[in-house]
Amino acid sequence: MPPSKRSLHIESSGQLCIYCGACVGICPLNCIYLDETRITFDENVCTRCEICVKACPVGAIAIG
Amino acid sequence: METVRTDVLVVGAGPAGSMTAKWAAKSGAKVLMIEKRQEIGSPVRCGEGMSKDWLQEVGIVPGKWINVEVEGARIYSPSEKCLEINEKHAGNEVGYVVERDGFDKQLAIDAANAGVDIWLKTSATGILRENGHVVGVKAKRFGEPLEIRAKVTVGADGFESQVGRWAGLPTNLQLRDMDTCLQYRMTNVDSDVRYCDFYLGSCAPGGYVWIFPKAEGLANVGIGVQVSKVKSPADAKSYLDRWIEKHPGYAKGKKIDMVGGGVSISAPMKQTVTDGFLLVGDAARMIDPLTGGGIANGCIAGKIAGEVSARAVAAGDASKEVLAEYDRGWRARFEEKLYRNWLAKEKLCSLSDETFDKVVDALEGVKLEKLTVHNILKAVHVKYPEVTREFEAFL
Ligand SMILES: Cc1cc2nc3c(=O)[nH]c(=O)nc-3n(C[C@H](O)[C@H](O)[C@H](O)COP(=O)(O)OP(=O)(O)OC[C@H]3O[C@@H](n4cnc5c(N)ncnc54)[C@H](O)[C@@H]3O)c2cc1C
Ligand code: SF4
Ligand code: SF4
Repeated sequence: MPPSKRSLHIESSGQLCIYCGACVGICPLNCIYLDETRITFDENVCTRCEICVKACPVGAIAIG
Repeated sequence: METVRTDVLVVGAGPAGSMTAKWAAKSGAKVLMIEKRQEIGSPVRCGEGMSKDWLQEVGIVPGKWINVEVEGARIYSPSEKCLEINEKHAGNEVGYVVERDGFDKQLAIDAANAGVDIWLKTSATGILRENGHVVGVKAKRFGEPLEIRAKVTVGADGFESQVGRWAGLPTNLQLRDMDTCLQYRMTNVDSDVRYCDFYLGSCAPGGYVWIFPKAEGLANVGIGVQVSKVKSPADAKSYLDRWIEKHPGYAKGKKIDMVGGGVSISAPMKQTVTDGFLLVGDAARMIDPLTGGGIANGCIAGKIAGEVSARAVAAGDASKEVLAEYDRGWRARFEEKLYRNWLAKEKLCSLSDETFDKVVDALEGVKLEKLTVHNILKAVHVKYPEVTREFEAFL
């Protein structure tokens, strides 16, 4: 499958994510947004580069 | 849609934002500071260690937000040889461990007392431009969209900064330019209230483990790992958990809080102003790349940003040429140190555990006048000249 078809999942329901903003600051496309305990990201802009996956200190982001 | 007008708009009410707002108001401007959170200073994303020699310069009066005043720092090599640096030697690198939420709130109170208007639950969602000039932001206040128009807009939105990118300033970071951080507040641990501790080497690739004491038996135990050195998801957590497991004085402790975040460890930004707009604090990547500390630089730059913004308002000209006074001001104050510490950090990141051990071993028992990269290298050179060969640029 081409990389762009894979989906990115942020476990932001509170089970893993600690709402720290590390992913927001590093996303090269500026497509993640954090508001208190709500994370949104723009599926259409995201290139699945996996940078945010590495930047997340607790492993709350997965691409598959 | 509602439109609001102000002289200076500050986006983000962290230390850099509150400082900017306060000094702009004190210098005569009408200032609005917006903060997307519901509570200034909370949740805390910080180790809460800070130096203290700069407080007076920016007009911060020590207050109840100080938890402990440490005497020094202890730096541990991979084989846990310890280098003790007392306050006199460390210069400005040790000082207080603080209650960050209390500190941030106090700075916001100082800003309010200077006349700043503060809006919570208000996030900037985009930038407003006219003829290439930034003229404010699109925002949401309690969910309601509005436009906030300003003569000078300040991006003080922290590590996550989006305002800077919207305004066209290149704040993007490479993987090697960032540490991913995790910290537990732990109770019933063997920390020492006299010292901030740092553990270097492969226990925290491209970063370090820190222990900052909050009270007897209570400490912030955290880690930073360079993102380019992360091998699998959640490495920061795995490394920190492993470190704690290996240290009985901490393994027996209990975690009462957990925070994380990103810290930039990049070289200073080339450009921090554009027409009608300037960036300050973490948003401007002003964190010291060696220590990871950003409170002091954010506040120092904030004062300059506030004063320059108010002058631009008074002069009726907020072009980038006028705002460049801010850019020159913060650079004159600390750019050289940022740059030197960035170079030192680049080197340190490449050292093996064995070399770290040698460096700390060479410094054991040596009395350094003042702890600077230069002095450390001179001392190491005496015992292990081969180690300092790579660092000749500093000598
Ligand atoms: C784990 C960790 C440990 C650290 N430890 C230390 C330490 O021990 N000592 C030290 O000196 N530094 C430390 N730092 C760095 C320090 O926390 C920062 O340098 C400091 O907070 C920077 O202040 P600031 O005002 O620039 O940004 P912040 O304090 O991040 O403030 C930015 C504010 O802007 C708000 N905001 C963001 N986007 C918007 C928007 N769109 N609209 C409205 N508001 C917005 C945010 O909610 C936030 O309140 C640490 C950082 C981390 C992550
Ligand atoms: S995968 Fe890349 S582009 Fe997508 S959200 Fe993460 S960092 Fe941004
Ligand atoms: S980096 Fe991870 S923990 Fe932090 S906000 Fe992003 S998804 Fe959540």
